[in-house]
Amino acid sequence: MSEEHSHPTPAQYWKIAVVLAILTAIEVALFYIDQELQLGFLNAALLISLAIAKFIIVVGWYMHLRFENPLLNRFFTGGFILALSLYGIVLAALGVLVIRGG
Amino acid sequence: MTDIIHEPELDHHGEHESTGIENRKLGMWIFLSSEFLFFGALISNYLLYSNRGGFPSPYPAEIYDIPFTSVSSFVLLMSSLTMVLAHNALSRDDQNGARTWLFATAALGSVFLGGQVFEFTDFVVEYGMTLSTNPAASAFYLLTGFHGAHVAIGVIMLLSLWGISRRQGGLSEKHGLNLELVGLYWHFVDIIWIVIFTVVYLLSIPPV
Amino acid sequence: MTATAERPSTTIFRRPRSTEGIWSWITTVDHKKIGIMYGYAAFFFFLLGGIEALLLRIHLAQANSEFLTAGAYNALFTMHGTTMIFLFVMPVSAAFINYMLPLLIGARDVAFPRLNALSWWIFVFGGIFLYSTFIFGTSLAPIGVDGVGGIDGNLPPGGGPGGFNFLADSPDGGWFGYQPNAGPLYSSGTALDFWALGLQILGLASLISSVNFIVTVFNMRAVGMRLLRMPVFAWMATVTSFLLLFSLPIIAVALFMVTFDRQFGTLFFLASEGGDPILWQHLFWLFGHPEVYILILPAMGIVSEVLPVFSKKPLFGYSAVVFAGAAIAFLGFGVWAHHMFASGITPVAQAAFGLATMTIAIPTGIKIFNWLGTMWMGKIRLNTPMLFAIGFVAMFTIGGLSGVTHAIVPSDWQQTDTYYIVAHFHYVLFGGAIFGIFAGLYYWFPKLSGRVMDDRLGKVHFWLMMIGFNLTFAPMHWLGLQGMVRRTWKYAPETGLEPWNVAVSIGAFIIALGILVFMYNWWASRRSGELSGLDPWDARTIEWTIPNPTPEYNFAVAPTVARLDHFWHLKYDEDDEGRAVRKPDADEIISELEYNGLNPATPIHLPAPSYFPVLMALGIPIIAYGIIYHEALWGKIAIAVGALISLSALIGWGIEPLEEPHAADEGEHDEVEAELVATAGEEAVMDVDGEEDDE
Repeated sequence: MSEEHSHPTPAQYWKIAVVLAILTAIEVALFYIDQELQLGFLNAALLISLAIAKFIIVVGWYMHLRFENPLLNRFFTGGFILALSLYGIVLAALGVLVIRGG
Repeated sequence: MTDIIHEPELDHHGEHESTGIENRKLGMWIFLSSEFLFFGALISNYLLYSNRGGFPSPYPAEIYDIPFTSVSSFVLLMSSLTMVLAHNALSRDDQNGARTWLFATAALGSVFLGGQVFEFTDFVVEYGMTLSTNPAASAFYLLTGFHGAHVAIGVIMLLSLWGISRRQGGLSEKHGLNLELVGLYWHFVDIIWIVIFTVVYLLSIPPV
Repeated sequence: MTATAERPSTTIFRRPRSTEGIWSWITTVDHKKIGIMYGYAAFFFFLLGGIEALLLRIHLAQANSEFLTAGAYNALFTMHGTTMIFLFVMPVSAAFINYMLPLLIGARDVAFPRLNALSWWIFVFGGIFLYSTFIFGTSLAPIGVDGVGGIDGNLPPGGGPGGFNFLADSPDGGWFGYQPNAGPLYSSGTALDFWALGLQILGLASLISSVNFIVTVFNMRAVGMRLLRMPVFAWMATVTSFLLLFSLPIIAVALFMVTFDRQFGTLFFLASEGGDPILWQHLFWLFGHPEVYILILPAMGIVSEVLPVFSKKPLFGYSAVVFAGAAIAFLGFGVWAHHMFASGITPVAQAAFGLATMTIAIPTGIKIFNWLGTMWMGKIRLNTPMLFAIGFVAMFTIGGLSGVTHAIVPSDWQQTDTYYIVAHFHYVLFGGAIFGIFAGLYYWFPKLSGRVMDDRLGKVHFWLMMIGFNLTFAPMHWLGLQGMVRRTWKYAPETGLEPWNVAVSIGAFIIALGILVFMYNWWASRRSGELSGLDPWDARTIEWTIPNPTPEYNFAVAPTVARLDHFWHLKYDEDDEGRAVRKPDADEIISELEYNGLNPATPIHLPAPSYFPVLMALGIPIIAYGIIYHEALWGKIAIAVGALISLSALIGWGIEPLEEPHAADEGEHDEVEAELVATAGEEAVMDVDGEEDDE
């Protein structure tokens, strides 16, 4: 088994889960607030930021990427950024905004 | 006179790992980085069609059950917690703990899958939205279906590890690495769902 | 020590033991055997694709020809392209990477030997599945208004008038499978299902091997083999693997969409139902353009190995060649829409993609100048591998230049779908990739046979290819500019296109003659070619420090590499003026290497053969047949049976034991290993740091 030093403890994992749960609750709440208030672009920006936050927390801590050889980070981030840019261009070329803010 | 000893894999003997990262772990990360391109195409496909109006209803965004999906998203998110606890237990050589958390993860994954089956059935039976209703529906089913297939494969792998652990009274070093790899895969499937939940469910607006 | 493979087996199946005969090949996980099998299978498909091309050329040699029916014509150009790309150039590159990559980086095998076998078997079953369309596939006429067939302008049933028709029931949507033409509405038979699922299976094989090769390069290098000491071919193999890794998932999704459209009633590409055929073009070319570099980069790697050896000079600008290769790959992801200038994309997109396309000429030009710089002032030996390598540089340059003309949008509109395009991509893929592949076959032939290929016949082969190739493809430039349209079954005599078409067809047969000479040469040289010894070419890289043919274990002692062109520096010193001078004891060094290579002092651990890769691969085409016929009961059964076979193989694979054998001799062995790992660890740290700039 690989070296496990400096990895989070179970208690920390639980805390992270609580954070994730709260973020998810905020997301759902935002969805309903938006139904009432029509926040539009702000809603989209907030929801995407929350998703990014959850994404980074899971990848960084649960997948241990923060504690791994930076090479892995480079592969993983590389794939993510490549996908984001390629499909962003495709959707732009096809006349679709990446996200319709409402 | 040469002695040649045949073994299933080279990585434990004779060869070193230049990066210091175990071969299979490196391979898993590389594979996962390519999965972004796979799911990216499916999500883009949905974004392209989701609000192209003028074709038969219902569109997926018209019939989403957000409270229901929120719960099943939460279930999948929490399965990442149990997964990481399984890994943590094994790294402390707590075989019973690892086995319990593995099973919990598989169970939460199955609940998520059950939710998806329920959702699809609901959409088809109650609302009449099939693969052929409109391209947005096609894209929705293809995306969530392939995600579900990934979850299902994950559940099978988790249950296999759980079975091996039960039969052998614990996981060996080799299977310990397998647990870590399944964990990586599982968290990855979870982060894809984080994106899907936001982009496909919460932010999707039916055509006007 | 007689500690050979004998040891207790705890699985249900005994591990395969055969070291000879057919089972040793079926169960092998040896990268060399897998490479050889890839090579022969690819060459078989090359012959099929070549015969298809010859049939097309017989047909086109005559205006208003009715040698082929229109249906057969469509099927032949589709299968010719599909075969040459997916069943020849890609697998033959996989053959080279499989066989050579571990040798070039000083490893005993790839990182995952069983996955490697799995890739190979998935590939070969995928190829068989794809070609089984000739037997099972149907290519019905489009569903017409009357339900019988014959929408205006489409073919009547049965392939149309004309003669030779027996291949008409094959995929006929072009290798690019444009939608909705290749969708359910206009191609309602099963042939295009075979095509879509066949490519899906082949893609899976390539995806698995790309992960395998990347891990191999990053983890299995010999001590001292830093990334920037790797031979250029190893570099290009790595870059190619990354391209495969990131482009195959895209085509996988696109092909799934086609399969779902055709089989399960989704509407992705049906314009009348709200689908968007242009999305297919985007997804296809997002994959398709990197694919072009997937085809050419391994050949560039081969040429970068051959030119220095036969010029007796180091590769000019090694790191520039490496970085240019990586740059080509990176830029290659950003230019896909230049295949779509005629598809109505916006002017902004046209300008952006036109510019991006032109920038690819920069790293490509760097490579060409580096190859020329390598030969400049070198002591050039014109052996067959060198001739092919020079041919590659010349022909590829022509193809590259005509490629730049497509980057200019108005000019591209003129050229789109004409023979000018056909000329261009054959200059880069035939004059480029295939010339490079032949250079590699002649160059590395001793590694698998212990013999050298006949140089005289090789030169005959080269000149036949060179003359035939240019006679075939150069006139296509002017045919295209005169307006001859691609994929068109007939041209009228008054167009005046016939004379050049005759020339093109003659050229095609000269190429075929060249290939026959090559096949004879290969066969004869394997049997009775001149023995090569250890170092037939006075080579530079470490694959030539081991005996020919390559021993099963590759390296008797795990090699240590001190610098680029390690082997060369074992043999040569520099004099005061910087000229290379052969060391007086170079021949002794070589015979010592040969002796040591054949007589390993310590026991060698090698991966054991396994039944599970072939078994697991077997399930996949069965599932694919099941999907095509899923409406029938037996189709559903086939899906279940295929899944069951693959799943059981997977379980067997998972529990195939990792024994800890030979406790006795393990001890001393481990110490040596521990030392190696320690040094390797330091190396790795340095590598990772040095790599910051690479990416």
